This record gives sequence, C-alpha cells and structure tokens, in this order.
Amino acid sequence: MHSEIVEFLNAEVSGCNAVYNAAEVGDSSITIASTHIKSACIALKNSSKFNMNVLQCITATDYIEEDEIELSYILASFIENTELILKVRVPRGDGVTLSVVDSVCDVWKSANYLERECYDMMGVKFEGHPDHRRILCPDDWQGWPLRKDYVVQEKYLDMTVNPPEKINQADIELFAKMRLDLEDPTLVTGSWKDDHAWIDQDLTAKAAGRLAEFKAAKKAKADAEKAKASSEEKGE
Amino acid sequence: MDIKNQEKLHTDLLTMNMGPQHPATHGVLRVEIKTDSEIIAEAIPHLGYLHRCKEKHSENLDYRGIIPYTDRMDYLAAMNMEHGYCLAIEKMLGTEVPKRAEYIRVMMAEMQRIASHLMFFGTYAIDLGAFSPFLYAFQDREFILRIFEELSGARLLYNYIWVGGVWNDINDSQLKRIEKFMVELEENVKKYHSLVGENAIFIGRTANVGVLTKDQVYDYGATGPMLRGSGIDWDLRKTRPYSIYEEFDFNTVVGVGAKGTVGDCWDRYYVRVFEIFESIKIVRQCLDGIEEGPIMGKVPKVLKVPKGEIYLRTECPRGELGYHIISDGTKTPYRVKVKSSCFTHVSMLGEMAPGQMIADFVATIGSIDIVLGEVDR
Amino acid sequence: MSSTTLTPIKETEGLTLKKWFLNIYRAVTSVSKGMMITMKYAYGVKPVTIEYPEVREVLPENSRSRLYNDAENCISCYQCAVACPVDCIYITATKRDKDADKIKTSNGTAIRLDLVQYTIDTALCCYCGLCTTVCPTECLTHTTDYEFSQYTLDSMKYDYLAPDIRSWRDRIVK
Repeated sequence: MHSEIVEFLNAEVSGCNAVYNAAEVGDSSITIASTHIKSACIALKNSSKFNMNVLQCITATDYIEEDEIELSYILASFIENTELILKVRVPRGDGVTLSVVDSVCDVWKSANYLERECYDMMGVKFEGHPDHRRILCPDDWQGWPLRKDYVVQEKYLDMTVNPPEKINQADIELFAKMRLDLEDPTLVTGSWKDDHAWIDQDLTAKAAGRLAEFKAAKKAKADAEKAKASSEEKGE
Repeated sequence: MDIKNQEKLHTDLLTMNMGPQHPATHGVLRVEIKTDSEIIAEAIPHLGYLHRCKEKHSENLDYRGIIPYTDRMDYLAAMNMEHGYCLAIEKMLGTEVPKRAEYIRVMMAEMQRIASHLMFFGTYAIDLGAFSPFLYAFQDREFILRIFEELSGARLLYNYIWVGGVWNDINDSQLKRIEKFMVELEENVKKYHSLVGENAIFIGRTANVGVLTKDQVYDYGATGPMLRGSGIDWDLRKTRPYSIYEEFDFNTVVGVGAKGTVGDCWDRYYVRVFEIFESIKIVRQCLDGIEEGPIMGKVPKVLKVPKGEIYLRTECPRGELGYHIISDGTKTPYRVKVKSSCFTHVSMLGEMAPGQMIADFVATIGSIDIVLGEVDR
Repeated sequence: MSSTTLTPIKETEGLTLKKWFLNIYRAVTSVSKGMMITMKYAYGVKPVTIEYPEVREVLPENSRSRLYNDAENCISCYQCAVACPVDCIYITATKRDKDADKIKTSNGTAIRLDLVQYTIDTALCCYCGLCTTVCPTECLTHTTDYEFSQYTLDSMKYDYLAPDIRSWRDRIVK
C-alpha cells in the first residue's frame, strides 16, 4: 500500500518528495516535504482510491541530535480500512523563533485541537489555524514541555515549583551527605544516581570529588605498598 | 414595547463559565459559553485542568513502569488502557501471549467496558435529573470492581495486564461467580433500559438533541459510540480485530434513530447500553473457551523494544485509543503519544452547542461521555 | 454592542388536544413503570452498603494497600527503587565489614549491606505493585491495611527502620 501512496503523492503533488520508510519492526511511514503537507492531505482525502477521511492524531517528536522536529500525521480511512503515518520534518529552532507548517484545519476539523496540542507541547506553529492558542498548559506558560531540552521553571506565578520538602530532597541527598561525612566513602551505596535531577549539584560534585580523592589515595597507598613490596623482593 | 426602545436595550451575549466544578461537566472541564437568555451562541471548551504530563513522564520510565500511568488516563476503563499499551509493546517485541492470558485479558476488557457503560448510564441519568438509576448502576458495577480487586489487588487502577500476559491467575470459583453474575446483569440492564431509556421524560430530553451527522463525525475524527451512534457500522473489534476478538461472535450496535434523528443523544445512549449485552456475549464465550495454561509469555527481564515505531489502536469504551510509540532501542521509549478519543470528542462540543438550550447542552456533554483524565492525560 | 436574538435549533412541535392527552398518558405510564422498579428496589433488595466505622470490610488477600518492608530480610538490592515509577523509595546502605558476623535472610540469601535508610513516601506511592514483584527476598509486601490517614504530609513518610512501624504491622498481620 505504501509504495502506491508514494507514487500517487509524487504524481499528484509536485515537489512533495514522498519517500517510503520501510520498517522491519512496527509500522512503516511516508515522509514528505513539510511545505506540501496541506496539498498532500487534500489529495489523500479526495482520492477515491485511498479515501483518508479521518485524521487520527498528530504526533510531534523532538529529535534533538538531528536538530529537527518530526510531525507524524496519522491518517485513517474508515471506508478502505487502512491507516497511514505521514511524516514531515521541520527545523527545531531555538524555542523562540518557531518553525511554521501549514495547518490542515480546512481539510479535517479534528486537526484544530490536535494542532493546538502540538503547538502547546512542542512549539510548532501552524499557519492558517483559526484558534492558535495553548490548549493543555495555561496561556502564560513558558517553554515547550515535550521538547527534550525542556527545563522545569523554578517559579510559576510566584509559586515555587518543586519545593524541597515536597520532593523529599533531604532523603535523596542523604546518600551524598553520607559520602561526605563517613570515614570511608566507598562503603556507601544508594539507590540514587548521582545525576538525579533533584539532588543539589554542588553536593553531588563534592561527594563525587571526595570519593575520587579517597579512591585515588587508596590506590596510591596500594601502589606504594606494592612498590615497597617489590623493592623489598628485589632487595632480597 | 416599541422597536425604538428595544434598540436601546443592552442585548449583548452573556458570557458564563460552566465548570470546572460543575457537576454536569464530568470532572474538571470548563466550558465558556456565550448565551442569549437560555440559548447558547458559542461554547469554547478549556482543557488542561487534569494535565499530568503523562507523555513526558513516559520518556523517563521503563516500559513496565508506564503501565500504572496508562491506568490513570481513563480511570473508568483502566483495563482497556493497559490492554492497548501492552498489545503495542508485544507487537514490537514479537512476544507470544499464552492463550489463557489472552482470554483473561479479553474478559477483563469486556467487563471493564460493561462497568464503564454502567457508569455512563448512571451519570447520564443524573445529568438529566434521575437519581436512582445511578445507584442501581453502581450496584452492578460494584460486583465487577470486586472481581477486579480480587484479581489485581486494586479497585480502579489495576496494573493487571502486563507485557507478555497478565499478573495474576483467575480461579474456577471466580469464573463461576462471573458466569452467575452475567445472567443477573443481563436482566438488570434490560430493566434499567426500560426504566430510563423508554421513559417519556428521558426521550423528551435526549431525542433530537445534539445531532451529529455522518460527515461531521468523520470530519472531527470521532470514534466509538459517537461514530456508531451516528449510524456508521465501525467497531475496531470487528473491522481490525486485535488480540483474539476475531474468535468471538457478537454484533455491532448502531444507532438507527429509533426515537428521533440518527445521531442524537438518545442514539448514543442506546449504543452504549446495548453494547453491554454484546459485551456479556463476549464474556460468556470467554468463559466457555478459557483453557488451562500459563498466564505469562516469555519476556526478557529488562524490556528493550527494538528501534522503530508503532501505532496501534484499540476499541475502548469511549472510542478508539491509539498508542504511537517511538522507540530508539533503549530501556525507555523515545516518545509515547496517546491518541485519546475523548480529546477529539471534546472538540465537537463547539460544533454541537450553538443554538442549544443550556439544559440540552448538559445532555450533550453527558452523551459524549468524556473522562477528563483521558482528555488531558 | 451587538443586538442578537437567537432561535433554538431544536424545533418544538405545536400542541394539539390529542397530543396533550397522549403526553399525559405517556407521562403517567412511564412514571408508574419507573416507580414500580423503584419500589421493588426499595422493599425487595437487601441493603448493599455497610456502616463503615462499625463494620469494617476485609480486603481480598492480594489487595494492594499500605506497603510494609521487613527490614531484617532486606538485602538492599535497590530493585524496588529502580522499578518504582514515581521514585518514592529511598534506600541508602553501607557495606558490611568482611570480618563482621555473617547474617542471612529467612530464605537464606546472605546480607552484604547494612541498611541505613529505607524510607517510602506513601503520599507519593501509586500502589502499582511493581516494587513488590521484583523483590528477590519478598520482604517488601503490600498489606491489606487501608486505614492510614494522617494529619501531615510528613507523617506519610514511613521509615521502615524505626521501631514505631512495628506497632501497626503487628496490628494487621496475624
């Protein structure tokens, strides 16, 4: 089915560069140029062969390493009983200037909320959207929560987000503190990773430093003993 | 009053907030409605009061740890939420699920569907001013919850269906109790339908209200009872069978406009209530077909889903639930997107509301049967 | 300022004398039908609710309620903390001296670490049961105790090494 759609799209929508991504595991998809998403959707909806009459959902995925955001339009035909993942890739931007994609609200009305959710969570603008606002987050929210580099703000409307007593910071930090206090820090183990988001970073650095120091000292001592032993051996 | 004076009258639309603590909005939905006396000119739903960043959480959890979070999306149909997620992961892993586990899963999913539709039945009657059906429905729902509690250990958020099988085995006495209960339930639901569905007041409140045409339904991507209520014969369990649904014999309930036009609130009510009977049929066939055997397939201790993506839809009580899972081959998924049916259904409120009376609007919200946990995720 | 008059989309039909009587008949029949069912429930069905503080329900065997860790059998493997989806289990341990007495759990696993901290914040806990299933020595279990409301958030944090945990544990476990 996919190769037929690729042929159809390349013939019908000139310049959309439809590419078939075959997948060994899971579902295959089709990638097209982001500028042609609307015309491709109209073509797919109106074609009597594919009849993609329902837009199921729009998934935005942040590929931070490739510096791109991928929008997967999942279309389904309730007449032909098929479904299709149609993908476009847009540049990621820095979070202030956002990439723009054509809105498909005129094609399917369900796109209205789905695109608003995409904008809210991932920061992709949709050109020609009738009601372009945030949907799940409050209007004055900052940042794009589902981006991989999103950092939770420290304060929101003068309220502290994640105050220490609510995230049990003392309990989490006990591990690092014990490493600082105990005579032999190598003995301490804990269920926490050093890079846990809520540990005070200075404290972890200090604890890690002390651990490294102690280990180095121990190693040096062991080496010295070894050297001494070998020299003694040689001496004999 | 003469016309000159009337023009001086201030006849602006009145803006009102319905919710977030309105009993008829089923949770924390806020609808900003602009009314002219009793008639609504515009309704704008405001979402996000129950947004718990499920999708963001999922990116930092291992594949097993996500299951409790999926429960909390649609808390009235938690089994169906788990079922869809586990099916998606199993399809990626290529895991074979033992037959007994599949039977238990389907049985639980269908019983959950019954429980969810009973909940709809009760709350919809409350929305329209009848109180006692709510209590009757809860009485039957209680039995189902009790069975779930014995099996999974929890009443609402089960974490029962696991990747590869189910957590706990079902024993013969429980199966017998379910069988006995199904007979009871069938009679009860018939009684409830004659109590509520055939009631003149109920018909007056719901027939010809909130009509959705076929084109509108497709345009908005509505699924489940909303779709079937508008006269479209589409049920994923039939059209794209997943799990072992192809083995079962049951019918799709489609709204025919028995009391009014096709696609009105009464039709949606009818589809939900009569789906209970179809679910009873499936549960009975499960009880007949269930066989001895293991309940857990071979699953690695640390789940590492191969690189790729999957979009899998299942039929939940409120519509189609789709999981779009993108994996990068590590212990945690790269992206989990949930296509929630309620989310698309809420967007239809703006289309259905204009021209309705406020009381009819309450009937409309009730008939789309939203759970805000699934809308906001 | 806009001047608007809206008309409802739902059409109301005109009322004729025949319809008026038909309406009355329909209302009476459906109400009496409903009342019959209601009466059946009012007098024929046993009460389904229980009077809570006097009658306490016993939860099923594998009910997932308040967590209990038998600290003596814990080998500090951290598997529960890793499995926990809400990160509410905090464990810290120190390595035992090689010269110290060798101790074992009740099922014979050697304990190589001394627990210093084993805290579960039950206010965060989502009672999913993932931690109990991964526990190799089965020391972490869900009890069937469901009455553990507290006045402050702080007291929802259970330190399983503290002696006062024993008091409620003894109350539930027979």
